[in-house]
This record gives sequence, C-alpha cells and structure tokens, in this order.
Amino acid sequence: MNEKFFKTLLGVAILGLIIGTVGLINFLVYGKSTLALGSYIPWGLWVALYTFFLGLTAGAFLITILTYVFRIKIFSGIGPLSAFTVVVTIICEMLIITLDLGHPLRLYRIFITPGFKSMIFWMVVFTTGMLVIYILETYYLLREEIIEWSQDPGIKNRRIYQSLALGRTAYTEEDRRQDHRRVRLLSLISIPVGLFFYGSNGAVFAVLLNRPIWNSTLTPLLFIISALVSGGALIVLLTFMFKRDDTVIHLLAHTIRFLLVVMLILEFLHFFISYQWDVVYIVAALDLILYGHYWWNFWFVHLILGSLVPLYLMVRYHDNARVLAWACFLIVFTFIAFRLSFVIPDQAVYKLEGLDTSYFHERLRTTYVPNLTEWLVSLWVISLGLLAFLLGTRWLPVIQAGRGEEEHV
Amino acid sequence: MARDLPQEDPLIRMQRDLKRALKKNPRDIKWGMVIDIAKCIGCHACTVGCVAENKLPPGVVYRVVLEEETGRYPFVGRRFIPRPCLHCQNPPCTKACPVTATWKTEQGAVIVDYNKCIGCRYCLVACPYAARTSDFGEWYTAETAELPGKLYGQKAAANGYEAHPAAEYGQKWPGRNGGSPVGNARKCHFCLHRLKVGMLPACATSCIGRATIFGDRTDSHSLVYEMIGSPRVYVLKEELGTRPAVYYLK
Repeated sequence: MNEKFFKTLLGVAILGLIIGTVGLINFLVYGKSTLALGSYIPWGLWVALYTFFLGLTAGAFLITILTYVFRIKIFSGIGPLSAFTVVVTIICEMLIITLDLGHPLRLYRIFITPGFKSMIFWMVVFTTGMLVIYILETYYLLREEIIEWSQDPGIKNRRIYQSLALGRTAYTEEDRRQDHRRVRLLSLISIPVGLFFYGSNGAVFAVLLNRPIWNSTLTPLLFIISALVSGGALIVLLTFMFKRDDTVIHLLAHTIRFLLVVMLILEFLHFFISYQWDVVYIVAALDLILYGHYWWNFWFVHLILGSLVPLYLMVRYHDNARVLAWACFLIVFTFIAFRLSFVIPDQAVYKLEGLDTSYFHERLRTTYVPNLTEWLVSLWVISLGLLAFLLGTRWLPVIQAGRGEEEHV
Repeated sequence: MARDLPQEDPLIRMQRDLKRALKKNPRDIKWGMVIDIAKCIGCHACTVGCVAENKLPPGVVYRVVLEEETGRYPFVGRRFIPRPCLHCQNPPCTKACPVTATWKTEQGAVIVDYNKCIGCRYCLVACPYAARTSDFGEWYTAETAELPGKLYGQKAAANGYEAHPAAEYGQKWPGRNGGSPVGNARKCHFCLHRLKVGMLPACATSCIGRATIFGDRTDSHSLVYEMIGSPRVYVLKEELGTRPAVYYLK
C-alpha cells in the first residue's frame, strides 16, 4: 500500500473516531435511553453490526486453516495478516456487543454464574476461545520478526518489541520449527472451535421459538456460508491493499464466487420454504423484508449491489485483480444490509394480535430506525477497528511476516 | 339458580385460598392464574394497578390488555385478553439467560434477579408472548419544567411517584439513575412481594369484573383450581409447548 493511501485511510479512521466519540459520550452519559430500541425490537443496529464483524472474521479463519493445517502453500504469505485480521474483528465484535448490554460491567457473570442452556453463553465461550487462539497464533507467526525488530537499532520504540520478545534476543531454526508446530496446533484447534463459534452464533437465533425467520435449521448453515463470503471478500481486499499477490486474489475470488452462489441458493431456499408454510406471522416477516419500508435494503443494497454486481464482476473480470478487489469491497460494504435484513424484520412482527394497541409507548412498537447515537457509536467502533488494523500493520510485522513461509508450510 | 349466582365476592374467596396456601410448605405451592375473558371489559385497571404497584417507568409494562376484533362487518365482535407473564412451566426465557439471572421458583413463578441480569435482552427475544420489557431508564417527569424556588416542578413531581422505590421481590429498588432495575429485563412476578404478606397480586384485586382469578393451582379447594377444571379453559399458543401457568376461559 502506498503511503498516500495509507495516510488517507488513517485520516478517515481518526475522523470517524472523533465524530463517533460525540455519540459515544452521549451514550455513556445518558445511557440506554439514548437508543431507538424498544422491548419489541430489543436487538437493533449493534447486534446486526456484531454479526457483521462475526462474518468478517471467517475469511481469515479459512486462510489460516488452509495454510497451516492443510498446508496449501499459496496462502502462506497472507497467513499472519489473516490471523491479525481475526484478532481485530473479534475485538470489534466484542466491543459493540458489550456496549449493547444493559449492564456491561456485569459481563464477567457469564463465567461466574453460567447458563449452560443459553446459546449466548456458548457464543461468548467460543468467541473468547477464538480470540485467545488467534492472539497466540498471531504472536507465534510474528515472533521471528518481533525478535529481529527488538534487536534492530534502526527501529523506533525498540523497548516495546523487546518486551514482546519476552527477553529473547535471537531466533534459532529450532524456534522456527517450534513456532510452526504451535501455529499448526492452534490452527488445528481453531477448526472445531471456529465451526462452533460460527454455528453457535447462528444457533443464538435459530433456537428461538416463534421466530419466523430465525427459527430454522438453515440459519446456522447460512451464518457459516455468509461469514465465509464476507470474510473471504475482506481478505481479498486486504491482500490487494497491503500485500498484492494476484494469484492469491484470483484463487480466493474464485472460491468466494462459488460460496456467494451457495449463499444465494440457501437464502432463496430459506424464503421459499418459509413462504410455503403460509403462516400469517411468517409471511408477514418475509413480506417486511421484500416489500416493507426498507425493501430497497434487500433488493438494491444486498441483492443487486452486494451480490449480483460482485458476482458479475467476478465472472466477467476473473483475471483482473483490481476489479476483483472492487467486487469484494462491494460484498464487504453491503454485508451490513444483509445482516440488518436478517436481524430486524423478524422482531418487527407483533407476536400477539392486539399488542400494537394495548399500551402506547414508543418503546413498545415494532418500528425501528437506528438513531444518530447508534450510528455514531457504530462509526466509533468501526473507526477504532480500522485504526487498530492500520497501526497494527505499521507497528507489528504483520505484512513483513509470512515471507518465504512456503517451504515451512 | 342459586348455584349460578356467586355466593360471595371471588376476591374474598381468593383471599381465603391465599391464606390457606401460605400455611402450606412453600414447596407444595404452585401459583396459577385464570383469566375469564368473558368477564373482561377492557378497562385496563389491571394494567394501571400493576404499573402503580411496581412503580413501572415509561415503556415498561407487565400486564397489557390485548384487544381482538372478530367477525366481519356488520357482524363484528370485540374481546379483551389481559396478558401478564404466563409463568410457563417450560419457559423459553429462562433457558435463554446466559447468566442464570432468571429462573422458575419452586412455587412456579418465573422471576428475575435484577442484580445478576446483564441486560442482553435475549430473554425478551426468546419470549413468544412478548411478556418481558426492558427498562431503558426513562422518567415520566423527564420533560417537566423545574425552576428551583419558583416552580414546584420536576423534582416534586418525580417524588410524588416514580422516585419512590419499587418494592419488587421484597426489596427496595431506589436507583433510577443507572442502577438496577434500569438496564434490566423486567416482567410480571405474580406480585411475590404482596403474596409474601398475604395480599393478592395487584391485577387480581384491581379487576373490576373479577375476571382474574389467582391462587394455588394444586389446592383442590381453591377457586383457581376449580376454574382450571372448566371445559372453557385454554392457554395461549399451546402448540409451542411452553405450558403456561396462566390459563384463559373462553
């Protein structure tokens, strides 16, 4: 990535952080009353954003497994970058969902008084597991360069790298072999943990009774596939921006193209089966997605801009890395629309006839539009993630690491 | 004829049933409610009684009265269905809680520990009856004018009602400035704090049509037991298998 583009992105991240801070302060001072949520739509933009970040982790998860477990050499150069991406996105994911809690400071209770039957409990367990695995994996992938930097007099803030090197001054061939074994073991562990991580997030929605769109066995599967599509697209984008390798981009884009088609088929099946049931509240929820006030979110943003246009670009220009990167940018950028059309409409149908006229209060309504505070806090979290990622690529050897890894892989 | 006319006010009988139940071993009590929709006139007194009893803030409500319209013009009808928490015997909400802050007591009431609840609102999403609401920390008097020394305004208005501590679960809940129950999931708890001192739930006592019957559903002499045995009895969304402890009479 050239310096000018990097600085532009850095500027965007800092600006977003500053603007978002206004909303964050408003939220921290005045609390939950500043949100547009209610009791009939208790999960809104932040939960959708949570599932968005969840999806973004998946591509990197796939890359590290392909590289370090299945030893596919072609991806080895972007292994460290992918592992670092998982860490940043999981942190963003945890941050936004923690802010969404009524009592965020009580989060520790999940481990003190766990509700083993709750899917949220398992979701937190697997999210924490993934974070720990990928922090360790990133560390072992970067350790060689960190030790090198700690000994390089030309590197600024060498003390930080010395402390990260944990007192090591040299990196031997034996260390390298050992770190590769560790990374492989961690990647191996991450397969079941990761699948349960994505699956349990889907299950959080799928297990709920009387939820027309969520309550389906297709939901966890759709979560896994859609996560791989968006996450894979993010990796293509990052590879193009930070470590351009056209062969890797072509191969990844080819995979995403296939996964995108699978995702659209699954989505079609989801709608088709649900419509076939012909149950009033199920049809009402589906109609809200397709023909409701926000029909354009589904048809235009998700289906056309986020699926069909990228699909066309990936088929038509399958050997043009720049166009493929743009196609992936569209997928990533519009993925929040897909998540919003999954999270909101299901809640936007009254669960009992007459609820709408029984007690009048704005928080007892099924209309929900995220307000400025919600958007600003979302902007703050996204900007923080972007800033952490950009600084990470400068202050940590995530770009430098992975060179010449093919022989070890 | 004599059998059809009530011999005494159902409230008196329910009060007597309650006294008898409270003398039992608490483990043997199973609270239950029967709502006779043929008697409900849709006055919403139960909703107001519940809100006042539990000092519920704006947007928080435990018991609403649903209004259903039936038939086609000109042959139309209207019926009212009060909906408290149904205190399901197989509650989907308690399973959803990641911190076990909500559970079913031995007496069959589904309750929330305000000091444990993290406010994830998963139980709200999980309840198929929309019987839980979240406390977003709002005040009825938030927009009331205040001019210290000149105007008897916001503070006085708040002190008149909503700054009073709620007595839910037998505790005083004074904090409406961020502490629990603000940020928590809240729901009907069968007025356990009233039951403890021998009083019926606020909704039962405020029902002017005596449509709400409350008591120990395992006591064969109680009115609630008698009503549950009626051929008119049904429960909401029976197909979900939640087995509510709140029954309705057609």
